Amino acid sequence: MKQEEVNFEQSQFTQTMIPGKFAKAMRTCVLWQLFRFAVLNIKMIIVVQKSH
Amino acid sequence: MARLIVLGGGVAGHTTATFAAKWLGSEHEVVVVTPNAKWNWIPSNIWVGVGRMTKEEVTFDLAPVYAKAGITYKQAKAVSLNPEGGATSDKPFVTIEFTEAGREGQSENLEYDYIVNATGPKLNFGATPGLGEGSNLGEHTVSVCTADHAVHASHKLEEAIQKMKGGERQKFLIGTGHGMCTCQGAAFEYMFNVEHELNKAGVRDMADMKWISNESFMGDFGMGGLHMKVGGYVVSSKLFTESLFAERNVNWLIGAHTNKVEAGKVGYELLDGTVGEEEFDFAMLIPPFAGVGLKAYDKAGEDITGVVFAPNGFMKVDADYAPKAYADWKASDWPRTYQNPTYKNMFAAGIAFAPPHIISKPMSSPNGTPINPTPPRTGMPSGIIGKAVAHSVCALMTEGENAHLHEASMAEMGAACVASAGKGIFSGTAAAMTVFPVVPDYEKYPGTGRDTDYTFGEIGLAGHWIKHVLHHLFIYKAKLNPGWTLIPE
Repeated sequence: MKQEEVNFEQSQFTQTMIPGKFAKAMRTCVLWQLFRFAVLNIKMIIVVQKSH
Repeated sequence: MARLIVLGGGVAGHTTATFAAKWLGSEHEVVVVTPNAKWNWIPSNIWVGVGRMTKEEVTFDLAPVYAKAGITYKQAKAVSLNPEGGATSDKPFVTIEFTEAGREGQSENLEYDYIVNATGPKLNFGATPGLGEGSNLGEHTVSVCTADHAVHASHKLEEAIQKMKGGERQKFLIGTGHGMCTCQGAAFEYMFNVEHELNKAGVRDMADMKWISNESFMGDFGMGGLHMKVGGYVVSSKLFTESLFAERNVNWLIGAHTNKVEAGKVGYELLDGTVGEEEFDFAMLIPPFAGVGLKAYDKAGEDITGVVFAPNGFMKVDADYAPKAYADWKASDWPRTYQNPTYKNMFAAGIAFAPPHIISKPMSSPNGTPINPTPPRTGMPSGIIGKAVAHSVCALMTEGENAHLHEASMAEMGAACVASAGKGIFSGTAAAMTVFPVVPDYEKYPGTGRDTDYTFGEIGLAGHWIKHVLHHLFIYKAKLNPGWTLIPE
């Protein structure tokens, strides 16, 4: 059984989604996350500006 | 010279007072009345609560900052308002009681021209038997609502970790301590930080973890849930949140009104009317919020608290408080200027204003127990409202009573929420979310009530770095260091 499939054995978790190896790796990939950091900052600044 | 009094020195009060002092200069007086000697960046209390930060890293002394800003600082709590003055004068005043060492219990009447109520919440631990007395935390559970509470929580967590290292299984119960709580996000973030710490300590397999919440579905967050852009999809916050819990093997109990806390167990009632008990070795339960209990009196000394404040103790402002069915709730019910409708020189900002109604769909058990989250008004909305109120009050003080009032409706403002898991620069992750607007507007956004271009969620290191940046940025801003006005709320 793959790691991401282990918790699906619990009935409470069967209707949701659990990230696999690739999704988890991207969450901690420094290069990709540096890019996302820039994107998130820009989007958050827009939200802040729209809120004032 | 006119006098503005700001009651409270949290995010909303501090923002209002510091901007007002800057804009008014020395022509008018700004006074802050707050019972606390220190300012606290509350979002980072989560890291204090797992022992990754000290109290000193999330707090600083208010007195030198206010001295630098030219603000008169009274370390005291407000007790009552006399918006029509008293027997000897028509000038409105607030009665305060000092909490400063050496002056405890002394009271003073402070006259004002304008007043902003930004007292924040009373942490109403006493609402749940066993959770605490009044606003004091009880002995059975921990909290991260204040820096001191968080320090206490970190010690209890360390004790639990040591027990697990000694071979003793531990049950962790984290969530809300009452059916009418808000701030699920703080408990949510604490849960993931505890889970992260248990993994780091190598004892995760010795821990059973459970989430208990008054939300009717996972991801309600007191905002009726939200639909957000995730990975190119528009996803329900229910799916997003359940995924985070499933990934970490954390079970949940939702739609729960915690009605009793004893040593090692809580009692609860669920939305379907069933009752039960949940045992724990370590529990962090957020208390419900209430107004701080300010009273109000008219010129003759008659109690007019019910005129100025809603029954929950929060101040009435320019919201539509007329009772109406959920189907008839509108974005326009929400206040825009935060001015008290009866006394035009009174405003409320942040948690202290009375919302017109909740945002989530109202729910109650068959026994009639209301079980639903109350609206979040912390963080970014508090800061934005505080600044808008400062604008309005300054305009009134400098241009006269017909000055234009600034507006900041929660149905037209967004909020950013970053829930971290861990503190290391490369070892932690975070769920970064934004929502726009906080209060859904189904007339403007008929699909989901919100703008899905600006309501998004993402999990990863990037959000985690943003949490670190926000910690340093907002403490820098609150200390009024050079360029502080350039940092947005």
